[in-house]
Amino acid sequence: MAEALVVRHLSKRFGGLRAVQDLSFSVAENETVALIGPNGAGKTTSFNLITGFHRPDSGSVSAFGREIVGLRPYDICGHGLTRTFQVARPFGGMTVLANVMTGAFLRDKKLDVARAKAREAIEFVGLSAKEHAPARDLTTIDQRRLEMARALATEPRLLLLDEVMAGLNPAEIDQAVALVGKLSQRGLTIIIVEHVMRAIMAVARHIVVLDHGQKIAEGSPKEVVANEEVVRAYLGSGYVHVATPGEGGC
Amino acid sequence: MIRGLRHTGVLWIVLLAGVMLALPLVVTSRFAIDIFIRILLFAFIGVAWNLMGGYAKQLSLGHAAYFGLGAYTSTILQIRFGISPWIGMFAGGVVAMLASLPIGALCFRLRGPYFAIATIATAQVLMLLFLKFRDFAWGAEGTTIPNLGNAPLMMQFDAKAAYYYIALGLLAAGLAITYRIERSWVGYYLVAIGEDEDAAEAIGVNALRIKRDIYLVSAFLTALAGTFYVQYIYFIDPATAFSFNISVEAALVSIVGGIGTLWGPVIGTVLLEATSALLQSWLGSSLGGVQLTVYSLILIAVILWRPTGLLGVFTETYGRIVHAGPARASEAAIDG
Repeated sequence: MAEALVVRHLSKRFGGLRAVQDLSFSVAENETVALIGPNGAGKTTSFNLITGFHRPDSGSVSAFGREIVGLRPYDICGHGLTRTFQVARPFGGMTVLANVMTGAFLRDKKLDVARAKAREAIEFVGLSAKEHAPARDLTTIDQRRLEMARALATEPRLLLLDEVMAGLNPAEIDQAVALVGKLSQRGLTIIIVEHVMRAIMAVARHIVVLDHGQKIAEGSPKEVVANEEVVRAYLGSGYVHVATPGEGGC
Repeated sequence: MIRGLRHTGVLWIVLLAGVMLALPLVVTSRFAIDIFIRILLFAFIGVAWNLMGGYAKQLSLGHAAYFGLGAYTSTILQIRFGISPWIGMFAGGVVAMLASLPIGALCFRLRGPYFAIATIATAQVLMLLFLKFRDFAWGAEGTTIPNLGNAPLMMQFDAKAAYYYIALGLLAAGLAITYRIERSWVGYYLVAIGEDEDAAEAIGVNALRIKRDIYLVSAFLTALAGTFYVQYIYFIDPATAFSFNISVEAALVSIVGGIGTLWGPVIGTVLLEATSALLQSWLGSSLGGVQLTVYSLILIAVILWRPTGLLGVFTETYGRIVHAGPARASEAAIDG
């Protein structure tokens, strides 16, 4: 399979803090990859580096065969990489429809074309009933839906989702997992940063684990969960106990 | 509000245009006409400011820079080269646009209050420069515009109504431009930038380019107002042309009326200018300073009770009367 994204030796420091150190991984087209790790491990920084919000100190990022380090965020979005934010950032004063239309204008400046495309994206995430509601009035999960619809309207090839499930209740997490699955079925390549392990196990085919800005493991969900260093740094021994009752634990 | 424009909206606009065109024929008091002209002019400046300051929420407090550049360009062209202010007006617009490029490049790196402060500085720097330009711009003492009597080709008229119609034309043009922008992708991009610049960039909005482009339009329009004002008062000096009051007024009328809305600056100007003019004529001679106090109280009241501007109050009330129900959630919300 062709590589959608290749990250090589990416590093970024903020003063004395090494936020990301020599990070390398690649994502195949139409694959869903999860980026996990404890708070401060450098997951969101990695997103910022890939999408042009921060400039890496060294390393390269190539998307669909093209080097994108040094490009501005809007340009990277134009190349088919669209991200969402850890804390949803809807345009509060605009309606849901106007929010999503703003994304759709990237590919076509005509109002009626953008409106049609926006409606399609809104329907896809299941927000059609609230099309005319101001974005600031939406609930948390609806704001996440809106962010996804807005990102979808830019017609991305690679979607970077930053903790779309944080703060959702279990039922909502199931809905969000189903939505990510639907996106993947549509042929999208997805990188997802997430803490909700249940969701990650459900959606990701491949997991990259970060700790203190470094990659400590990667592999299939099964491999990662069994990896001792991952358990020590992030999951905690209790996780094994929950996943496979009767075994492990301490 | 948008889709409904086809029928009732057009009717209202035709009605409004008719009233505005007929006004100088009915009202002949020079004092009243003068107030009307000031209202139209400041509404126009507010409209120009609102494109950038309102829709994209780039709170400029330095629009006097472009007002002054427009005023000086046309005046210099007229007095030194005998070129009609009608041409000078557009030359001034172009000068303002050129000036907005480096000013924008510097100021747009800053956000929020820092941007506002930087823009104040640009207008002040220009004022200081023109104080020094004694040779070709008359320095601090300024100059009067030679009175040619009734010379329409040189933008000079005996009848005050002529100035009224020019100002009305400027305002109509400004509103038409705003209307077009608001209903195109540019309008959506501007509002998105005003709401959250990073989130806008993340979905492909080139924020710096859009801000630069709208600043060009805003500067151009503001310069037209500068030329008109000088022709109207027959006098120019750096303190008038680059007055901080003009920058503040441009922002205030929009904020009071409702920023990022088509009619906000117009409504804001009608309220503020009319009150200030009337208060001054009633109280100015007996109780000096009272008009300023009342003016400030109105401002405080609006900002406390209606931070989104007065337009919201009107549309809500109108909605309640016409539809006998609560108006749609948010007037500021733009809809597809």
